[in-house]
Amino acid sequence: MDLGIDPDQLGTCVQCGLCLSSCPTYRVTGDETFSPRGRIALMRQVQLHDAPLTTEVTEAFDTCIQCLGCEPACPSVVPYGHFIESTRNALTEHRGSRRRAIALWPLTKPRLLRLGSSLLAIAQRLRLIPARLGLPERLPLRRLPHRSSGTDVYLFTGCVMDAWQRDVHFATQRVLEAAGFGVTPTGDAAGCCGALHTHAGLAAHGERLTENIDATLDPSIPVIVNSAGCGAHLKQHSSLQIFDAQEFLAEHLDRLPNITPLEVNVAVQDPCHLRHVQRAHLPTRTLLRKFVSVVTELDDDGLCCGAGGAYSVLQPDMSKEVRERKLASINRAQPDVVASANPGCSMHLSATGVITEHPMVLVDRALAANSSTT
Amino acid sequence: MNTADDALLADLKRVLGDRVRADSAERALLRRDASVFDGGSAGPTCLCESTEEVQRVVRIALAHGRSVVPRGAGTGLAGGAIPLGAPVIISLSRMNRILEVDTNSRIAWVEPGVVNLDLTKHLTPLGYHFAPDPSSQQVCTIGGNVGNNSGGPHCLAYGVTNAHILAIEVVLADGEIVTLGGLDAEPSGYDLRGVFIGGEGMLGITTKVAVRITPNPPAVSTLLLSFDTPRDAAATVSAVIAAGIVPAAMEVMDQGITIAVENYVNVGYPRDAGAVLLAEVDGLPDGVAIDAQRISDIGREHGATAVRQAASDEERMLLWKGRKTAFGAVAQIAPNYYLHDTVVPRSKLADTLEEVYRIADEHDLAVVNVFHAGDGNLHPLLLFNGQEPGIYDRVHAAGAKIVEASLAAGGVLSGEHGIGVEKQPYMHQMFSEDDLDHQERLRHAFDPACRSNPGKVIPVGHSCADIQSLRNVPEEVWG
Repeated sequence: MDLGIDPDQLGTCVQCGLCLSSCPTYRVTGDETFSPRGRIALMRQVQLHDAPLTTEVTEAFDTCIQCLGCEPACPSVVPYGHFIESTRNALTEHRGSRRRAIALWPLTKPRLLRLGSSLLAIAQRLRLIPARLGLPERLPLRRLPHRSSGTDVYLFTGCVMDAWQRDVHFATQRVLEAAGFGVTPTGDAAGCCGALHTHAGLAAHGERLTENIDATLDPSIPVIVNSAGCGAHLKQHSSLQIFDAQEFLAEHLDRLPNITPLEVNVAVQDPCHLRHVQRAHLPTRTLLRKFVSVVTELDDDGLCCGAGGAYSVLQPDMSKEVRERKLASINRAQPDVVASANPGCSMHLSATGVITEHPMVLVDRALAANSSTT
Repeated sequence: MNTADDALLADLKRVLGDRVRADSAERALLRRDASVFDGGSAGPTCLCESTEEVQRVVRIALAHGRSVVPRGAGTGLAGGAIPLGAPVIISLSRMNRILEVDTNSRIAWVEPGVVNLDLTKHLTPLGYHFAPDPSSQQVCTIGGNVGNNSGGPHCLAYGVTNAHILAIEVVLADGEIVTLGGLDAEPSGYDLRGVFIGGEGMLGITTKVAVRITPNPPAVSTLLLSFDTPRDAAATVSAVIAAGIVPAAMEVMDQGITIAVENYVNVGYPRDAGAVLLAEVDGLPDGVAIDAQRISDIGREHGATAVRQAASDEERMLLWKGRKTAFGAVAQIAPNYYLHDTVVPRSKLADTLEEVYRIADEHDLAVVNVFHAGDGNLHPLLLFNGQEPGIYDRVHAAGAKIVEASLAAGGVLSGEHGIGVEKQPYMHQMFSEDDLDHQERLRHAFDPACRSNPGKVIPVGHSCADIQSLRNVPEEVWG
């Protein structure tokens, strides 16, 4: 079966195996079928040698979290991300894309998404939602409306994050304003970026959503994204000037006031799409060091937490096993709070009782504490 | 799969449940390790979690007349872990616990699937590390290091794996569990531990290892010396050792690889130098400073055009990052590489190197050189495009010539990658019939039926009769 991968590119993997330790699913299984090297070997079998798509082969492809931790580890610079995206698309077409498309449809309907989310919040308070679904602990019942303060930058508000974590958007906007930037939240007109669609093997849907954003926003204004997954997708697919929130603010650190840092020990959890795709995980530290007393590194070299967009729902067992490794690392570091710049990761971790905050929320809190004392 | 396989599989599943895999996907992707050799389809893969499980799997395989091949991370470069004759694969990657660390005695007990760098990271907060540091240390396992007696840049001063292993628990080919070596300073009897290390899985399967842990040095200094020619760099290396200095590491890269590395990591390696020498000294601060100065002086005496000393730990790490990602950097030059591994006396380094360039030229292949100069361990990287028809024959032929040249210079077949199937055809050039007979008898003492990783190392004609059939794969071997 043609997986749509360029055969020359498929030949670039020399099977050295240096990717193995960076692969969360290999780490927890010890089975090479669940490693990047193994998956590439299977892609070759399927595409070049017409091997059958057995259950085991599709399982190998489906269980990839697409964290892309293998890419920075690869000495031959194999574009694994393209391989797996292409493979997922081919598989989705092969198996029929309707179910996935329907499941992701609400993301493109922001009002409906928020209404549904509020209903979920009510159900949650009535204790009708089992904890195992892994929803955030308390979904918001109501959201304050967005407001614009200028047109220096856009704040990309997205879909699920706007419904579930609008407070993080408000915090980000306040920090940007403290640095002297007038902010326009993009709101419903721009909507969903399409990252989850592309991730799920619906690349064409994903592209249409990104095109809509490009057509809606003014290309001369920088777009600040505070969800690592959305930022990574937009950096790859959009023609706009996309910046991760911490990345942007770390570049303008001098515009933020010098204040007494918050007395808190923060462990940084790097979302994979910030660290491996955007390769912009260091600015989170630059920014946090100015505003919190202790920044602690986890000792797992940025191994994925297992969230992976919709992965935690589609592959719950593997997702939890991968999370166990992250939790063990967090336990060794003993922080007060874990900073995570991606809503998926923070929800996945906080479902186990770990206290997580978006880095922008911590910075906002430090700024607020300072202004209330001076 | 035939009915014989079904019976074998049923027995294995009774022990391991769903930790046995025998589907076509798994069997196909374990055909290879990190080398260019294809071993054919593997038999069932057993993801063992304990010594007892390894023992039971070995006994079941034996009862079914099948051989076993141990596998760690599959990063070997000589085909040592490829599955000849569809053997039962015993995967040790899930046996990855660090069982005990004793800093007083400087010993750690680990399972064979522990990743080399994971062990060092585990020891870092305690002020220790595991000294052998192969370039694949981020993924390769301690069990694999034992099997190949692995080296690494820092083995110049600290010694290769053999110097860091005190005791090994082994499951022999008949399923018996024995412990070789011991924690005593001078274990009594023959050093069977020493025999086993570097046995490439043919003497049994490692299931537990007592490793020596090494205190981190109080001071480290890293120098980068530039030269006009690899010859000057090689001469400096010999002169440093002759002056009585044993640096922690001495690594040379030629111009081709230095430019590629600099393009890749951008840390200030000189693009215009014919070769660079990365030298590291460690120990007490005063001694380190003196040795660094002496190396720098010796370098200048031998034509060093520039000497740079890393001013910070950060700069030091960046220089090492360049060296350790050298194999990655070659991707810019050609999509495939064949990494060779031979050793020559230090005094013959420069001559052998020139011979390597000549051989590559003669076979119309690009070559770059990065090597552990301190111990004369050459790593020529032949660069090519695997899609080109007939290319593997040329690479193979050039490889054979490089081996020949190294042996002619008084060298040996392999520094650290092992023999596997890669160097097996050259064993006759290195050893007499008598030598090979003795090696075979030693092997028989551990594994009389040749059930543990058969078909490797010892050349055909000297190996067990019942595995001759395994060797009907050479036409695929270079695929």
